[in-house]
Amino acid sequence: MSKSFEIILEKANSWIESNQKVVLATVIQTWGSSPCQVGSRMIVNEKGGFLGSVSGGCVEANVINECMELIKSKNSFKKIEFTILDENAWSVGLACGGEMAVFIEQINL
Amino acid sequence: MKIEILKEIIKKKSSKEQFAVLTNLSNGNSEIFEFGKPLSKDFENYKNEIENYYNLKKNGTINGTQIFILNYIKPIEVIIVGAVHITQYLIDLIKNFNFVITIIDPREYFTTEKRFQNIKIINEWPNKALEKIQTNSNFALITLTHDPKIDDPALNHALKNKFFYIGALGSKKTHENRCKRLKEAGFNDKEINSIHGPIGIKLGGKSAPEIALSIVVQLVSETNKISLKSRN
Repeated sequence: MSKSFEIILEKANSWIESNQKVVLATVIQTWGSSPCQVGSRMIVNEKGGFLGSVSGGCVEANVINECMELIKSKNSFKKIEFTILDENAWSVGLACGGEMAVFIEQINL
Repeated sequence: MKIEILKEIIKKKSSKEQFAVLTNLSNGNSEIFEFGKPLSKDFENYKNEIENYYNLKKNGTINGTQIFILNYIKPIEVIIVGAVHITQYLIDLIKNFNFVITIIDPREYFTTEKRFQNIKIINEWPNKALEKIQTNSNFALITLTHDPKIDDPALNHALKNKFFYIGALGSKKTHENRCKRLKEAGFNDKEINSIHGPIGIKLGGKSAPEIALSIVVQLVSETNKISLKSRN
């Protein structure tokens, strides 16, 4: 229903045209309750700029870091899984008690 | 994902067709899927499952595989009759959703580009304007002029072509009169009652942005109903 992915892909294209490296993150699986549905997307550039969302804010920072690491590495893709938040730790997790998998991939020239 | 695929997705989105993007999660390869077109080696073994997900417009990793499918659904077309003040707020709210908008209004002083930027406007009478568009049950109609000679032909067209959503602005009295005219034009009660009139959910406000919001809420709600139906 939302038009956001269209805006995201156009932005990814414009970042690439201005010679930036871009990683596309996509929610590929969710278990239990999770704020973003399968297919939700976010793009991240080499400077850490981002657009879109893969959760309600719970794991964005972690995904952004992973995307920036991916740009530095030789790999072109990676699958990241997030599990239930340990409430006693200041770690990344999903406060809603869900689990999710995010696929991150470089846009290759 | 290769940049060529990204560019193709952007191009295809503007052509308003349904398609899907497949990703092989084990090697990162991706390609565009269109019904009936042959698949590459990465995906051809999963043809039946891919087609099944595509037909159900379902996104996800196909069971027991490393194949991820993301569907790009044809956007809903919304025809707005009347380039009035409410329309300006309506456009502003509606642009965040996956709708394609066309505004029809024969009155030139309303349809200036300054009032509506980057929106398709047809500056003609509705019956003439609608002849140029191939409409079907994927269409929604919003009439906002409350002038029978502009709204009525559009309502007639939408009822005949089975638009999934029809909403008409106007007071209860205006709507009663409208229903009478439609009945005289030969439409039955079921058809006439399918029109949302007065348009919008009960929000309790009378200002233009409030009316626009109440219309968008109703439109989105009705659109979600049909997309749920098509999945079941």
